Amino acid sequence: MARKDLLDIVSLDRGEIVDLLDQAIPFKDLFTRSVKKVPALKGKTVLMLFYEPSTRTLSSFEVAAKRLSADVTVFDVPRSSVTKGESVRDTIDTLQAMRADYIVVRHRLSGQPAAIARQTGASVINAGDGAHAHPTQALLDAFTLREVYPELERKRVLIMGDILHSRVARSTSTIFKKLGVEVAFLGPGSLVPKQGPQDIPRFTNYEEAMKWKPDAVYLLRVQKERMSAPFFPSDREYHNLYGITDERLRQLAGEGTYIMHPGPINRGVELCDAVLDYERCLISQQVENGIAARMAVLYGLKPQTP
Amino acid sequence: MSIALDPSAISTALGRLADQLFDAAGNAPIDLVGIRSRGDEVAERVALLLREKGAQVRLGVLDISLYRDDFEHLRENPKLQGSEIDFPIDDSHVILVDDVIFTGRTIRAALDALFDYGRPSSIALAVLIDRGHRELPIEPRYVGVKMETERLDHVIVRLAKTDGEDSVELTRKS
Amino acid sequence: MNLFLKGGEVASENAAPVRADVWLENGVIKSVGADLPEPEGARVIDVSGKVVMPGMFDAHVHFRDPGQEHKEDILTGSEAAINGGITGVVMMPNTSPAIDSATVVRRVLDTASKCRIPVLTSGCITVGRAGHEMAGIDGMRKAGVLMLTDDGDAVPDAALLKRAMEYGSEMNMFFASHCEEPQLAGPRALNEGAVSYRLGVQGTPALAEEISMSRDLALAHATGAELHIQHVSTEIGMEQIKWWRDERGAKVSGEVSPHHLMFTDEDIGDYDTHYKMNPPLRTAADNAALLQGLKDGHFRIIATDHAPHTEFEKSQAFVDAPNGITGLETALVSLFDRFVDKGEFGWDLLVKRYSAEPRRMMRLEVAEVAEGKGVDLIVFDPKGETTFTKEFMKSKSSNTPFYNQTLKGSIDFVALGEEVLLER
Repeated sequence: MARKDLLDIVSLDRGEIVDLLDQAIPFKDLFTRSVKKVPALKGKTVLMLFYEPSTRTLSSFEVAAKRLSADVTVFDVPRSSVTKGESVRDTIDTLQAMRADYIVVRHRLSGQPAAIARQTGASVINAGDGAHAHPTQALLDAFTLREVYPELERKRVLIMGDILHSRVARSTSTIFKKLGVEVAFLGPGSLVPKQGPQDIPRFTNYEEAMKWKPDAVYLLRVQKERMSAPFFPSDREYHNLYGITDERLRQLAGEGTYIMHPGPINRGVELCDAVLDYERCLISQQVENGIAARMAVLYGLKPQTP
Repeated sequence: MSIALDPSAISTALGRLADQLFDAAGNAPIDLVGIRSRGDEVAERVALLLREKGAQVRLGVLDISLYRDDFEHLRENPKLQGSEIDFPIDDSHVILVDDVIFTGRTIRAALDALFDYGRPSSIALAVLIDRGHRELPIEPRYVGVKMETERLDHVIVRLAKTDGEDSVELTRKS
Repeated sequence: MNLFLKGGEVASENAAPVRADVWLENGVIKSVGADLPEPEGARVIDVSGKVVMPGMFDAHVHFRDPGQEHKEDILTGSEAAINGGITGVVMMPNTSPAIDSATVVRRVLDTASKCRIPVLTSGCITVGRAGHEMAGIDGMRKAGVLMLTDDGDAVPDAALLKRAMEYGSEMNMFFASHCEEPQLAGPRALNEGAVSYRLGVQGTPALAEEISMSRDLALAHATGAELHIQHVSTEIGMEQIKWWRDERGAKVSGEVSPHHLMFTDEDIGDYDTHYKMNPPLRTAADNAALLQGLKDGHFRIIATDHAPHTEFEKSQAFVDAPNGITGLETALVSLFDRFVDKGEFGWDLLVKRYSAEPRRMMRLEVAEVAEGKGVDLIVFDPKGETTFTKEFMKSKSSNTPFYNQTLKGSIDFVALGEEVLLER
């Protein structure tokens, strides 16, 4: 790879993506060994800069880094909203002094990881910025789908829910398209923007979307914390119109459709409890593959620290 | 640049390795672990010869990319191909196999990798070519052929399955 | 002063440039004509190949004085104007404290009197621009204010704006509006469209400007007030002004900024705050419509909305960085480089929209390069080049998309009254 940073999926070409997915396989194989660690990043420092709370992504990155024998530090950042006047540059100066090799950044403002990457020689990995991108999520999603469909070309994935506020929708739809997968969006009219990519079919009705015959449905969480005001009348109405109800799960099971979700899930909103017991629900594989994918990313980047 | 070993010389060296391993094993099964790349092909071809002699051979492949000591100096990290060892390492007598031993650093990495798979009873080293100039206290027990080289010489090994032909070239550096 | 500008072309608002020499003596233009004899004792300045035109006038600038003098102050702002060939400006009142009373007006005009060019000021419609009570309108009028605006924000309360218009229009003052529906504005970061989707930042739809403009234009029509719409960025907005003026006889006008003619939201690229301002850059279709509108005469004036900010502030995260770019020093050169040089429109349009009409709007005498007129002119070299380095620019701030870029054209000479303000 020889890139310094991983900031989004848009800037990767198909070859780079396939390489990363292939590189994740030997890392996943390590999980069955008794010694799950390898010394590849021994002596390197990985800094976690999480301005937004997240236990699952943070711990996934921590495990990945530690399995590569890197030293991991979680940098204590103010959890309250960033005050005006606190500049990215001030934080960077502190980080430079700590001589981190890798910085994993999650921030509520789109573009922050890119701004940090421009100002440091450390390898910056975007762990989610605002509604912009979440590249490692997209990689593990593609990896997971490829495990059940080794030939991804022309498979169909329906991404459903709060597209407008979702960095996962943006990154995951982009990676699937680069791999030849067809993508469509389904959600309430107020949450599926008309100015998104014009080559992604846009559905606002579940039954219409099912006629498109997806091979997998990818459920998004409603991002209430990113909404300044309600975008739909109530959770119950949302579940009835756009959630996987028991009845819909039966139909999907009949078609053998896979179900994916980046987590954390809102039970009773985007899915009913029974989804988690569905044999073609890939949620736990996604979590497991997240560590392998993140190991492949850490292994594949090259910091430019002097 | 000169051809140091032609295909028949390589065949002979492989045969010599197989003979040494066969004689040492007695009736016990032989566990070979070839080091990618080319160590795996050497192990495969030696395994074939050993089986022809009637020996019981278990074959594994080790990718040591994650254990190298020179990541700092590389512009890209080496492409991983993964290891494949589907017999248990615990309590086994492993024979590590490589195409060339030079400074010994690759073997050190392979030892670290192997120990992360389990706890072998013993590890011995078989190499097709020993070109000298060790930098670590590591010696092969089984050697196909010894080559006289200078420290700065390049030894280029090509094997049939990996590279399309069997040859060993020596490029002198003045 | 006894200067003879020899060999140039003189530009004016109603005709293409004509070959003419210009003789300036003691602050007055003594004669203008082709192949004049060189006057006795005059310093001859060779302006062959160059264009001699009236000084430009920018009716929308932010000098941050009082309150944020680290970004700009009245003196440095006026020097930046001269550097850009501009010989008169109107400041906006969103300072700290806001220019909402006679006292503050007198304070800023006092500082302005030390500048080498006339610096006028507008005044707030509401106290502190808070949108609750009318500001001291008559007091400000007596202190020299003509334009009332809460620029930076729209006036949220339609009833308040109606009363202010009914009151102020009786005094021969006029109103200017920053049109933006606050409920739709969001974080005021960029246009809502494909780019805001890609960057994952909530955008402000064109609708926010259109709705607000529609309201203010209707209010102006109903109250008979004179209303000038500032920094128009949308095609529909421009059409609305045209409709109210042509179909309903409202006394309304609009202004367009150079950046809304030249750049689109695509230029934001990878979160580049040098393309972040309010109203935001819109689409190529809007640019094309605004450019055509300018050529068809739908905009009364061009104005830059010169908005200085420090490098530190502009280096913040895209959503947090303040809106605005500087414009005084780059406007004329960039308008030449992008439009006049490419044949999109001529010097006559520039002189009309960036010199003559802004002065008329402010009830000032129009500057002209004509016999008997006072000296207020600049010389522009179409074959020259300008590189906008920090050293070249006189503004305290350098937040311009043209930073360190070289554009075609240069301003070589500025003269006002008896003073030569700039000579390169």
